[in-house]
Amino acid sequence: MNVVVKRLVFLSALLSASFIIIVVVFVILSGIKPFISDNEGLGPVSFIGFITRTIWLDGPTFVSNMYGAGYLIANTLYIAFLTLLVSLPLGVLTALFIAKIAGKRTGALLRSIVELLAAIPSIVYGLVGAGLFLPVIYNTALSFGIQTNGGNSTLAAVIVLTFMSIPTLTTISEVAIRNVDLSLEEASLALGTSKTQTHFNVVLPAAKSGIFSAAILAIGRALGEATAISLVAGNALSGPTFSLFNRTATLTTAMLQGMKETTGLDYDIRFSLGIVLIIVILITNFALNMLKKRVGKMHAQ
Amino acid sequence: MHNKRKIQDNLLKSLTIGAALMTASALFIVFYFVFTSGFSLLSFDLLVSDYKTEQYNTTLDDTIETTMFEEPEGNEAFFSQIYGISLKDAENKDAEAIIVIDYIAPESPFNTLKSINENETVNASEGGVITRISFENTSTALTREGAESMINKLDGGHTIREIIFVEPGGGIRGSIIATLYLIGLTLVMALPLGIFSAIYLNEFAKDTRLTRTIRSFIDTLTGIPSIVYGLMAVSVFIPLTARFNMASGLSIYAGAMTMTVILLPVLIRTTEESLASVPNDYREASLALGANDVQTTFKVVLPNAIAGLLTATFLSIGRIIGESAALIFVMGTAVRDSVYPSQGATTLAVHIWTLMSTEPANVELASTIALIILTIVLILNTTVKLLAKKFDKLGNR
Repeated sequence: MNVVVKRLVFLSALLSASFIIIVVVFVILSGIKPFISDNEGLGPVSFIGFITRTIWLDGPTFVSNMYGAGYLIANTLYIAFLTLLVSLPLGVLTALFIAKIAGKRTGALLRSIVELLAAIPSIVYGLVGAGLFLPVIYNTALSFGIQTNGGNSTLAAVIVLTFMSIPTLTTISEVAIRNVDLSLEEASLALGTSKTQTHFNVVLPAAKSGIFSAAILAIGRALGEATAISLVAGNALSGPTFSLFNRTATLTTAMLQGMKETTGLDYDIRFSLGIVLIIVILITNFALNMLKKRVGKMHAQ
Repeated sequence: MHNKRKIQDNLLKSLTIGAALMTASALFIVFYFVFTSGFSLLSFDLLVSDYKTEQYNTTLDDTIETTMFEEPEGNEAFFSQIYGISLKDAENKDAEAIIVIDYIAPESPFNTLKSINENETVNASEGGVITRISFENTSTALTREGAESMINKLDGGHTIREIIFVEPGGGIRGSIIATLYLIGLTLVMALPLGIFSAIYLNEFAKDTRLTRTIRSFIDTLTGIPSIVYGLMAVSVFIPLTARFNMASGLSIYAGAMTMTVILLPVLIRTTEESLASVPNDYREASLALGANDVQTTFKVVLPNAIAGLLTATFLSIGRIIGESAALIFVMGTAVRDSVYPSQGATTLAVHIWTLMSTEPANVELASTIALIILTIVLILNTTVKLLAKKFDKLGNR
């Protein structure tokens, strides 16, 4: 009996761990099919072409195999970068306020607010983006004489993603800020600096490793988010888009586009986008981790 | 010099306050928008009615004797004394004029209309739309003539030939049922798998290379975007369910398997934390009494970690309700009224996506669904918090 139970729980753990292999293997297997198979007479898609082309499909659907995701990669990275640019300061400053400046009650209230923000499903953020921000962006752009595609734009995607990354950034940064050794702070105060100076010049730099981890997590989420931005991006079929008010498309929105009514290569190519997405996330993570190590060393010197 | 520092300090401080205010306003904006644009549609009818609009060509059941009906008190619509029904003019979502049933008396013949094409009884319910009524010996009462004219013709004593009645649709019953199916099926698979894995890792596993590999593999699952899980499900779970004759394509079964994989890392970690928080004294006391380690785990450790397990369950339910990207791939985007686990269906979250990604987007209904989702999330969150409090108390005993 004991042996059976022990074996059962061991097998459960083994099965749980095996899913990551299943995910990676099967997404890769389906994703490389367009590059190596004949695609029902269309001929194999060229991989280099796929990751460099700036038009989603050069030619008609079901006739051409000239798919391109180069602009999607650029858009995805650009949007994630802009999101981090806006949400990182917001999140870190909020965390600093909660951890060091706010009173006990305000801090607790804000923490609950951040928890709730984290619990709201991404589709709801997408809905608010589409229902509330798209008209605002459309009208604002119009008042500056810019015609937008109903407000669908890079800006809308960045706003929605900013909403979604703030809770992640705030929660993890707050923990990092709290974990900074109090003696560091006291030493700084003893040297005659003000509290605020200490917070910004001593506490934040000391917490930067944790803040970096928060940024890595948030950017991973921004790169992989799908349904929410698909409602506000506008599904541009070529690019890349660097203007804030032009419509755009990312790796994930392209995966969702036209899902309902398509088959063959036009469906299978989504798996290839999946591989590209995983690679983009891995490379971004790797680069940010290298940067984190660098910055960590810089301060130690 | 001192003054300059003060100004600088205050500037920086107000920056943090400004950031905190913006974060707080984000929550306010979300709730405000969802509430203002979604609340008006929220009703019990919405929760229990079909999504698809259904049109019925019907006629009166001749076998029913009609009497004169009393007009209900406070009736502001136009009332037919012969048929016991009141109608009012209204507008549908596309701003077209329609005639809506405002009230039906319990014995009204409109409660048991006979379908002309199929042999079934249709009951016209309040909120339903009457498109037109044609008579044997007078002109047809049409929508554009208004409710008053329709009532006048009804009470004119002519024989009714045909009533075209439309059940308005737009309900979310199907999506609610699909969501419940998905939650049930997912928990049935995910809870045992997750809890057993956590038990192995926390109670039995020795610190070997294999254990560390298992742990890191499970942790890596967290970083994968849910849309990639959707892709995996299409190439693994959909063929798998087809193989075992559970479904022939998109299905809630496959959706539940996908959600199981998505939930595992968080489920295992939360369970492990709650197991780890059970004091070691308990284990030692149990072992000292002669129980073996399996008995100790299942009879002493697990019952004491129940609050943590509940927390994990509630978090999982929240995640299932909120998931959309992966489910679009495994369960499809077609809203159904009759839901079977062996077929595709939309959960509430995917229903929002379907409403918003078709032209024209139905922001109102989508917001109503979002309002329901937010309410559930709020309840789950509060429950988890209360559990955590209870949990702390238990730990301090």
